Amino acid sequence: MSESTQTSRRALIAAGFQELDRAASFLDDDQLRDLDASRLLTTMREAANPDQALLLLIRLLERADAVRSVFTDDGEDHYADAVPLIRLLGASQALGEFLIRRPDHVDLVTEADPGRHVSEVEDGHSISVPETVASEELRRRLLSAVRADAAGGDGDGDGGRDGDEDDDAVPPTAALDDDFTVKDATVALRIAYRREITALALRDLCAEDPLAYQPLVSHQLSDLAAAALDAALAVARAERRDRERRGEESESGRTLAERIEFAVIGMGKCGARELNFISDVDVIYVHRGPDDVDAGLLSETAIALAGGLTRIIGSAAPEPGLWEVDANLRPEGKDGPLSRTLDSHREYYRRWAHGWEFQALLKARPVAGSRRLGDDYIEAIWPQVWTSSQQEGFVENVQRMRRRVFEHIPDAEVDREIKLGSGGLRDIEFTVQLLQLVHGRVDETLQVRDTLTAVDRLARGEYMASKDQEAMSACYRRLRLWEHRVQMSQMRRTHLFPRRDEDLRALALAAAPPGMRKRPAAEDLQKEWRRVRREVASFHEQIFYRPLLSTTAVLSDDEVRLSSEAAQDRLAALGYADTRSAMRHIESLTSGVTRRATVRRRILPMMLGWFADGVDPDGGLLAFRRLSESLGQSPWYLTMLRDSSVAAERLSHILSSSRFIADLLEHSPESARWLGDDSSLTPRRFEQLWQEVSSQLDRHEKDDGQNAIRLTRLVRQREILRIAVADASGLLDQEQVGGALAEVDRAATLGALRVAENEIFAEDGRHIDFLVVAMGRQGGAEISYGSDMDALFVHRAVEGADSSVADEQAQKLAARLTALLQRPTKPAVKGEYPLQVDADLRPEGRKGPLSRSVESYREYYRRWMEVWERQALLRARPVAGSDDLAAEFMGIVDEVRYGPAPSSGQIREIRRIKARVESERLPRGADPSRHVKLGRGGLSDVEWLVQLIQLEDAEEYPELRTPSTLPALEAMVQMELVAAEDAETLADAWRLCTRVRSAVKIWTGKTSDVLPSSRRDLEAVARWCGFGAGGAATFEEHYLRTTRRCRQVYERLFYGEVD
Amino acid sequence: MDRQQEFVLRTIEERDVRFVRLWFTDVVGSLKSVALAPAEVEGVFSEGLGFDGSSIEGFSRVFESDMLLRPDPSTFQILPWRSEEEPTSRMFCDILTPDQEIAAADPRAVLRRQLDRAADMGFTCYTHPEIEFYLLDSETIDSDGVPVPVDRAGYFDHVTGSVSQDFRRHVVSMLEAVGISVEFSHHEAGPGQNEIDLRYADALTTADNIMTFRTVIKEVAVMQGKYATFMPKPFTEHPGSGMHTHFGLFEGDANAFYAPNAEFNLSKIARQFIAGVLTHAAEFTSVTNQFVNSYKRLWGGGEAPSHISWGHNNRSALMRVPLYKPTKGGSARVEFRGIDSAANPYLAYAVVIGAGLKGIQEEYELPDAITEDVWSLTTAERKAMGIKPLPGTLHDAIRQTEDSELVAEVLGEQVFENLLRNKQAEWDDYRVNVSPYEIQRYLGQI
Repeated sequence: MSESTQTSRRALIAAGFQELDRAASFLDDDQLRDLDASRLLTTMREAANPDQALLLLIRLLERADAVRSVFTDDGEDHYADAVPLIRLLGASQALGEFLIRRPDHVDLVTEADPGRHVSEVEDGHSISVPETVASEELRRRLLSAVRADAAGGDGDGDGGRDGDEDDDAVPPTAALDDDFTVKDATVALRIAYRREITALALRDLCAEDPLAYQPLVSHQLSDLAAAALDAALAVARAERRDRERRGEESESGRTLAERIEFAVIGMGKCGARELNFISDVDVIYVHRGPDDVDAGLLSETAIALAGGLTRIIGSAAPEPGLWEVDANLRPEGKDGPLSRTLDSHREYYRRWAHGWEFQALLKARPVAGSRRLGDDYIEAIWPQVWTSSQQEGFVENVQRMRRRVFEHIPDAEVDREIKLGSGGLRDIEFTVQLLQLVHGRVDETLQVRDTLTAVDRLARGEYMASKDQEAMSACYRRLRLWEHRVQMSQMRRTHLFPRRDEDLRALALAAAPPGMRKRPAAEDLQKEWRRVRREVASFHEQIFYRPLLSTTAVLSDDEVRLSSEAAQDRLAALGYADTRSAMRHIESLTSGVTRRATVRRRILPMMLGWFADGVDPDGGLLAFRRLSESLGQSPWYLTMLRDSSVAAERLSHILSSSRFIADLLEHSPESARWLGDDSSLTPRRFEQLWQEVSSQLDRHEKDDGQNAIRLTRLVRQREILRIAVADASGLLDQEQVGGALAEVDRAATLGALRVAENEIFAEDGRHIDFLVVAMGRQGGAEISYGSDMDALFVHRAVEGADSSVADEQAQKLAARLTALLQRPTKPAVKGEYPLQVDADLRPEGRKGPLSRSVESYREYYRRWMEVWERQALLRARPVAGSDDLAAEFMGIVDEVRYGPAPSSGQIREIRRIKARVESERLPRGADPSRHVKLGRGGLSDVEWLVQLIQLEDAEEYPELRTPSTLPALEAMVQMELVAAEDAETLADAWRLCTRVRSAVKIWTGKTSDVLPSSRRDLEAVARWCGFGAGGAATFEEHYLRTTRRCRQVYERLFYGEVD
Repeated sequence: MDRQQEFVLRTIEERDVRFVRLWFTDVVGSLKSVALAPAEVEGVFSEGLGFDGSSIEGFSRVFESDMLLRPDPSTFQILPWRSEEEPTSRMFCDILTPDQEIAAADPRAVLRRQLDRAADMGFTCYTHPEIEFYLLDSETIDSDGVPVPVDRAGYFDHVTGSVSQDFRRHVVSMLEAVGISVEFSHHEAGPGQNEIDLRYADALTTADNIMTFRTVIKEVAVMQGKYATFMPKPFTEHPGSGMHTHFGLFEGDANAFYAPNAEFNLSKIARQFIAGVLTHAAEFTSVTNQFVNSYKRLWGGGEAPSHISWGHNNRSALMRVPLYKPTKGGSARVEFRGIDSAANPYLAYAVVIGAGLKGIQEEYELPDAITEDVWSLTTAERKAMGIKPLPGTLHDAIRQTEDSELVAEVLGEQVFENLLRNKQAEWDDYRVNVSPYEIQRYLGQI
């Protein structure tokens, strides 16, 4: 062919070769000398990978001259008879190598006609596909390869159960002897298996419609695997029989290996007859024996058979192993015995099995060994699959399955995963199985094993629309076909979509029917891959959730109409407790022909799933209904939910896990707008807040104070909601939440102060400067939702003002300020948690005047102050009023609080008060270990300890001077006043307790300082504290442990020197 | 309805059982019992039986007092000491919260959790208790304020026609009737003191058996007009009643404590297990020796171990590696001699096993075995040899438990706290009591 080098270069490219020089030199090879170059090149276009095909062809010709017979000139522009061979060599290196290694089997291409099509019936339609080989025929061929008789007694057609077992024929057993050893049988079995695989691959690659043929390919692959198991069992049995005979030194009578009934149950893909070209074969073994035989001996025999079978299929031998036989799905997994009796299986599944084990059983089918026993097994066990939806934990299992649909294994190659990636096969399989489990209990037609049949039945039973069924079935076949082709190439267990262009082209060609004259482009395949994945990823929502709407909503005709029972079954499986009400809410949300209803119909299916992820799906759905009703026509609302799945998911999450936010949202529904926009979820800085509040006040200065303060309080409520939503969306940590809430309260206080001043100074003229000082947790800016404000009021007479007049005005101002913040407004601010101001920490407590002059404070602190008042001042922080006055007052305060260490008597006093607070303030009957504020290791333990150290050491170490707990604690570690380890224990507990307080408020909408004890409340709080679903018990233990450790540190450090 | 449950219902029917007692245990190990009519049993299997947990020591918080009992059908037994006319049976129960979750406060669940932990590490845990108790003439004391034993015999003494012997025979046959195998029974060192050894069984079964055992002993004694007590130390001058327990771990069917060529044939796992138990022994003494009176046994001489050490066949050690025939590798085990007969067996076994497992997990080093008689060493000698004492009083023990992360983890935070609260209350009660000893010693003198 050398004379045609110039022309053939173009022909080489047209044939799809990548390495032209190499290809050209191969074409010069002696082996190809007799062939017509142009005809050969045209034939080569059929090869997915022509470079590979050509080399394999040369090597094959060297070994098997008979192959030349397919290259006969029949007048066409290509060698028509060689097409199957070239397609095989182009698509599968491994199978090409097999033919080279075992050239006896080239009759598969020289004698047979893999391209012959026959007519099969699928779904009542006649389709034209390549031939199929029946499972019995495959079994016969593989058994005869190991010299066993397929008509042996234990297999099929052998009477009912009542036949006397002594009449049973011997089960198929390999005829081993010195010339045909176990090793020989092993090799023979594997060669026979590979021959069938090669034949099947040839037929598959020649299929005119490979998608139509795909399920039949999977059937044949499964049957072939089953036949291999049967043949391997025949060898294992022979081996065991011979060993038994040697042991007994007699050859008379039937050995246990022949008498025992032993069945292999196929699980997973093999069980469902949807196996791919190469995969682990999941099995479970079951045995049953004559009553006169010891159970231990039986079990030993069964395990020997199982072990032998695995070895004969998979272990090293002159012909490589086939695949792994994986028995790990058996009861108790790896720890369980390899084979069990039927009774033992039955007992296990009745008593011990977990939900997922039933799920695995869904695909179980007897595949090899005793058919009678296998059938008995299925009869005994399979029904339990379908009752598992009534079992405990079914909902949790479903939840876990649902999560697995969405949570894919993080992997750099996740985009290329045909099986596990988003939009991969697993998505389809899970969705289908889930529906089967939910509805299969009442509808027996759904009790089928394989995905395609199940999809079909789901559509027939009206659980799925027929257009969805068609789409799902098509996508499934497409993915499986790609998977088959990818695996076939090297016969490796891979599910990775190729990346390189040439591999993509090869895959596209291998997946296409023969006779494509134009080589497909890589991008087209990429595009198709993306399209299929996108479509598959939408199935779950489309098929599981969407029909929930259809019982009531007006849908288009091609959508499925679920019965109300079926819809309620699905809702219950999702965890909705009151399915009837849920149906009502869904109906109200989706009925009608308005645009609103249309949009809701589009978004609700997904949201139903998200609600189900929360602790209270029913509450979430109800809250969504209310919110939707109060938002009425607002166009942005539905647009946002429709266009932003982040917003819709956040909203669902919030509504189903927070009463607090749901209530607030109901009153200011327009705030839902933030959900779609992270930037609007950033808490406003104080300056921004104050600017807004003050400009509102400016505008309304002329009105009475009512209107102005109402606007201020609306701002406060809005900002609290903003912080809560940001918190719920995971954008803030607890310390940021505390700080942000404190800023909001500060702005509100400042607004109220200005309104009060305007009113009062307008009436009687200005006599004072005034200051509000926050105390307690407000002072430390570490509050939670719904905290009140501890405050001190300070005033100073302005120049020339009479001090008694000033005093009087200050009292009036303080009272007015308080009232403005907490009295109901007109019209009311709906859903508000008003800021309660508590001035009880003032000198002389409730007996003293609300506000004191700065001189009076100075005097009081010099003369009368008790040590606890000094301690309280540690957290003083001016929040509103005259800056100048603040400076003067804080000067006095700093002198007091950061003064010399308290005397030992005073320290004793502090310790005593703390002990008294613990025993007296704790509500009656409260469990101290669960009280976050006053309880064991709770907030007050940490805070009192920090404050005690501040009192003792802040004079010496200015670093300790801060009103906030954690910064003070950090400074103490820096100054080596507290060991880092102790500080961490304290800080952990403090943070956890603070978080729990917030979480309780946010979940229930009520303020409580007690760790909830009902499981549901605890679960909700646990999730707000970052624990995963089902973490309630772990969280409770974590809380108790954290606070106990904190208490130990507290006791050591707080009372330390007393002991 | 599973087969076990069916079996129970069928037996109730066939044997015409009139009462089914549901048994469970509070934190201190007192047996609690609720009687059911046979008709109610089926419902209780599926729904559980609600009860008010707040009235049971250490069970639940006042505000969440509803709890459920779920009988374990595998523990169903006809009780032989009830009359033939009205056969009575019992089942042990797991305790659940109203949400059907295992209650954290259930002692049985505490032990089960440790056994699960052992299983996760690949071990099955077997125990074999030797339970001592005194048989007395009656519950009342004599004019000197001392209980009256039924006889005056000693260790292994055979007393012809004695009450004790008759009693033991009766007990053993009754125990066999409730399915508890007895390995050994003999007269102990004290007058009226007896020991009965239960056969090796998995730890949960053993703990259940101990609860049954105590009931059987008390019942048989009453039937014979006597009184049996498991009080740790009823007599000042006679030995206390211990519950030495042999512990063994198996990996599959192999004894994990056995190593053919090692010192005392002790495997590395066994050494680590012992090290774990010894390291934490002082921390969990308030569990294994839970009463004020327990410390009178520990420190009252006799054979009670008061110091933390181990030895090969050394009866003065807290942990003893018994002699066994070299051919019997499968029976390798270690004996913990600290527990007394009044312990809550679930919690006591949980802490010992928990400590041992911790030793294995963290690969503790075991100090050298003690060959000397620990009792005869001087304090200084013990100090020199690094032998530490067990807590001297319940108060000491509570203080050490309080700081124990191990005990908190093994018991779970809730049982841990309930236990400490309960024990502290007991100690406070005891401390204010003026004892006959004080009257006798000081009244005349001062």
